[in-house]
Amino acid sequence: MGPAPTITLHVPGALRTYCAGAAELSISARTVRAALEDLERSQIALYRSICDETGALRRHLNVFVNSDNVRDLDGIDTTLTTGDVVTILPAVSGG
Amino acid sequence: MADRVVLTIGTRKGVFVADAAKPRRSFALRGPFGSGVPVYSTLIDTRGTPRLYASSCNPFFGMKVLRSKDMGKSFQETRSAPAFPKGDGRALANIWSLEAGGGKKELWCGVEPASLFRSRDGGDSWEMVPGISNHEHARKWQPGAGGLCMHTIIRDGHRVHLGISTGGHYLSEDGGETFRASNQGVGAGFAPDPYPEFGQCVHKIARHNDAPGRLYMQNHGGWADWTGPGGPRPDIGVLRSDDYGRTWRSIAKGLPSDFGFPILVHPHDADTVYVVPLDPATRSCPGGAPAVWRSENSGDSWSRLARGLPKKETYFTILRDAMDIDRLAAPALYFGTTTGQLWMGREGGEQWECLFDALPPIHNVKVAVV
Repeated sequence: MGPAPTITLHVPGALRTYCAGAAELSISARTVRAALEDLERSQIALYRSICDETGALRRHLNVFVNSDNVRDLDGIDTTLTTGDVVTILPAVSGG
Repeated sequence: MADRVVLTIGTRKGVFVADAAKPRRSFALRGPFGSGVPVYSTLIDTRGTPRLYASSCNPFFGMKVLRSKDMGKSFQETRSAPAFPKGDGRALANIWSLEAGGGKKELWCGVEPASLFRSRDGGDSWEMVPGISNHEHARKWQPGAGGLCMHTIIRDGHRVHLGISTGGHYLSEDGGETFRASNQGVGAGFAPDPYPEFGQCVHKIARHNDAPGRLYMQNHGGWADWTGPGGPRPDIGVLRSDDYGRTWRSIAKGLPSDFGFPILVHPHDADTVYVVPLDPATRSCPGGAPAVWRSENSGDSWSRLARGLPKKETYFTILRDAMDIDRLAAPALYFGTTTGQLWMGREGGEQWECLFDALPPIHNVKVAVV
């Protein structure tokens, strides 16, 4: 097995305070789950804002691989390939 | 020398801070702070240099704790928020109570699902308190309408009283190492057994420092007409203990309803206690006419305080932590409503005026003179 693909994680504005203001992070990971595990090791405050203590994605967040919601793919086990852009977005809300 | 009356107001859209000189003629409002997300608990920590704390219950990004070192001109997140240990299986859903602990920096925090956390560094790091969080009853507690919340933390030397909805009252006599359910006389209307060992829907507990053995409880009342197993349970909603919370008895007689959320003790008189009776169905004051009720004899009799409050067509709710009382010589009560009004009752609630009329729905009101 070769090296894990390098992907770009797009960080929403509200969470950039947890990664020194970075809008994007470059991560080597074969799946979304592996990308999140990388964040847990390297950016714990950012990770905690995306996943709860059980490791589950927070309920009102959506994660996209390129333009597809992982909910419509294989969830956080969705595989990644070099150059993919993973985007984390809060769900739409009102009130 | 303390010379400002400071209010923290936790709302559905962030925390506000208001302050006034001691005569309380005009309050200046600042905020909202905290990204416009719900704030269910605040703390005005008057140990040493005053600090303000607020929970920030972000539905997108999880729970945060906010701290202000400049009396509410600005707030910053602490370095971390309470979090269950990895592998515990529970995830933090809300922060319901923040209280000062021992020393100058210790904080205690009650959360949903009902558990207790402690910080020894002013909120930058947190550890779960296992004596209650991993109590043998903990996985048997059930959420009430507001969630499975630990909303009351009262410390008295080595005694710690906790209020859990729905879990009941838990008492520690070893500084929080171990806890036991202490609900003798506390009724439950939603279970066949009217007096279970635990599982009661306690709404709030209050106590006066000068009378540590006496506690007052607003429990989930409104069960006088129940006709199912166990029969009716009138007057289980407002209770008193005279033995440090070991046993409880009703003091609801004379109130228009035994349902309600907040309960407060007068800062200079342990016999004077305040409640806000609500219709259990609408959770608004009976007849659409808001009133705070006061007892000056520890609950043996009650009087209605409503001068200045609307007389009709008013259907807000006053939530469990949305009422407080300051410590001035003639103290004022304050309550916030689910319709976003903040009211002040001068002379211990004798005369009410609306301080702010159109805030977001109010969850929490705390006051201190600093």
